[in-house]
Amino acid sequence: MRLFAIGLSHRTAPVDLRECVDFARGGVDVALSALASRGVGPEVVVLSTCNRAEIYAVGDSDATAERVGRFFSEYHNVPHARVAEHLYLRRGTEAARHLFRVAAGLDSLVVGEPQILGQVKAAYSTASDLHYTGALTNRLFHSAFAAGKRVRTETGLGEGAVSVSYAAISLAKKIFGHLKGRSVLILGAGEMAKLTGVHLQAQQVKAIAIASRTFSTAQNLASTLGGRAVPWEALDDALAEADIVITATGAAEVVLSRTRLEDAMRPRRNRPIFIIDIALPRDVEPAAGNLDQVFLYNIDDLQSIVQENLARRGGELRRAEAIVEEEVARFTSWMQSREVVPTVVALRQRFEAIRQGELARLEPKMAGLQPEARARIDEITRLIVEKLLLTPTEQLKALNDETTVVAYADALNKLFSLTARDSAPVIPDAPGDEGKDRTDATPSPGSRAGT
Amino acid sequence: MHLLPLVLYAAAAAAYVAHFAWRDARTGRLATGTLGAGVLAHTFVIGMQTMEAGHAPLVGTSAAISAFVWMLGLSYLYVELTSDERSMGMFVALLMVLLDVIPALDPAITPRPPLLQSPLFTIHIVSVLFAYASFALAFVLGLTYVLLFKEIKAKQLGFFYMRLPSLQALDVMNARAVTVGWLCLTLGVAVGGIWATQVQASPDPRAQAMSVTDPKILVALVSWAVYSFAVVARRAAGWSARRAAYLSAIAFVLVLLNFVPIGYFLTKSHNF
Repeated sequence: MRLFAIGLSHRTAPVDLRECVDFARGGVDVALSALASRGVGPEVVVLSTCNRAEIYAVGDSDATAERVGRFFSEYHNVPHARVAEHLYLRRGTEAARHLFRVAAGLDSLVVGEPQILGQVKAAYSTASDLHYTGALTNRLFHSAFAAGKRVRTETGLGEGAVSVSYAAISLAKKIFGHLKGRSVLILGAGEMAKLTGVHLQAQQVKAIAIASRTFSTAQNLASTLGGRAVPWEALDDALAEADIVITATGAAEVVLSRTRLEDAMRPRRNRPIFIIDIALPRDVEPAAGNLDQVFLYNIDDLQSIVQENLARRGGELRRAEAIVEEEVARFTSWMQSREVVPTVVALRQRFEAIRQGELARLEPKMAGLQPEARARIDEITRLIVEKLLLTPTEQLKALNDETTVVAYADALNKLFSLTARDSAPVIPDAPGDEGKDRTDATPSPGSRAGT
Repeated sequence: MHLLPLVLYAAAAAAYVAHFAWRDARTGRLATGTLGAGVLAHTFVIGMQTMEAGHAPLVGTSAAISAFVWMLGLSYLYVELTSDERSMGMFVALLMVLLDVIPALDPAITPRPPLLQSPLFTIHIVSVLFAYASFALAFVLGLTYVLLFKEIKAKQLGFFYMRLPSLQALDVMNARAVTVGWLCLTLGVAVGGIWATQVQASPDPRAQAMSVTDPKILVALVSWAVYSFAVVARRAAGWSARRAAYLSAIAFVLVLLNFVPIGYFLTKSHNF
């Protein structure tokens, strides 16, 4: 049984194609049952986010992967040729490494973003609730969660804002604690003002006031944001109330001078104010930032914070990749110890079958023996088989590289004509003299056979 | 015997430093656990001393410092558990280690002179020590406020930005610590004053030295005035959080000065 990961992501497919093959739209549960009806499974997990669509499946051969690949186009009624060139296929360890990197946020559009781990967990629990997961996928996904969690707690990969609006909000939180109950004043009613207003609204601020030189545009924006329009003349009163001020007017001259802000701070009794100047040219006199409780940031300041955070994330990448590799190694060794088990079992069954067959064949010759002697013969032959199998079994279990495991398993399958999944013993036609030799053999003293 | 709490405090301080630097959650829990164990061991030491002496070991500067460190540990653990904020632990634990060296080197219990056999003595010293512990927390909170404030103002968001809670949270906790400390100090000074008038007739020379001109009493009264000003400035005068933070950080120097060097070398009234 091998593990496959088939899918496409922002790295391989354009956004319009990603939208076409979105499994979440029709419900991941529906997709899972459609996969099952096409004979994929029993273990299959569908991961669908806005940046990726991936299917993790367990199957005997690449035929499973092929079937899953076709499923992408068939299920979404997209020509296969259009999808095929964007699909990637990962097998075994590579599939695990891929999932671990995804869960750790290393494969995300914004590297280190934290949402993806939750999305991977949701994908797994959907599949698990519908009983589409088994031993291999359970272990795979729990290892992926561990890798994602370790990367998040042991590295600074997810730290620091990497977009200007997020940088502004995290700064505001560092000043005010949480933003619930804080009031916001927006100067200007343009597109930038609106965008920032929407971001702040999502933080559940108490009130948003909008002031613009033309009252009607302020009113328009106020109605879309659910805020309150303030006449331009009442700006100073609004300043006295606001905690966070966004300035985005198109004015050519400074709107908030240092002296104006100094006056506004007096009735505030030094309550801190956070001013974000996203206008160009600037709306706020830079010297206003020297006032005690005035925290003034302009768009360039925010931009450089974002750049620094991105650079810092780059440094953490190597540590994150190392953690993923550790988890991959751990998972792989588990997977391989599991992979050799069927071969070991088949080998033992094969040898036991030969022994039983020989005993049955020699039955007429042993008819005259005492039950005690017959029991001794049975014991001796069993010990010989055990001893013969001991070293190969140990060697197989010690293998730690996937290709070798597969090669050894193949060789054993051919040499002993094993069928790993077929547990029914095959009774061979062994040559008679060989059989006789075996029954004559005795285990050497001190042998570890049978232990 | 006093070495065990000191060793545990030092281990806790190391763990808090490591937690502050690398922000590893497990190290943080280890730090809290070790500090808790240190406070527990310290409680045991103080309990044993009480049994041995027949009274609470509050006589003498070393014993007072020991009690102060113990209260600071308890108050900090309370703040940490209620605010779920570990970043201040590094500063507090380092201060505790620094001060706890004194009682560890000088663990002898001073016998209680007849002068101090009054319930007022216990009230006086416990409330003053608790006030000092609160001021120590305010000192750490003020210090961290200033560090974070400077980073945000300089637009260099780095080390402290990543590690400290918000300015608002630091300011609120600072204000609370200063207020609680001021209330306790007021009580302690008032009880001390009443008690000093009661023992005026005592033949003990230290009772005779109980006057406003004694350095220990003088500096305590100055500290009280400074902290009173801090409370009033913030509430009535609308002082900015930054100034309040600076004041609470600097005022604690006065407290430490009074506690250690003056307590040991200069006072004639409080040299027990």
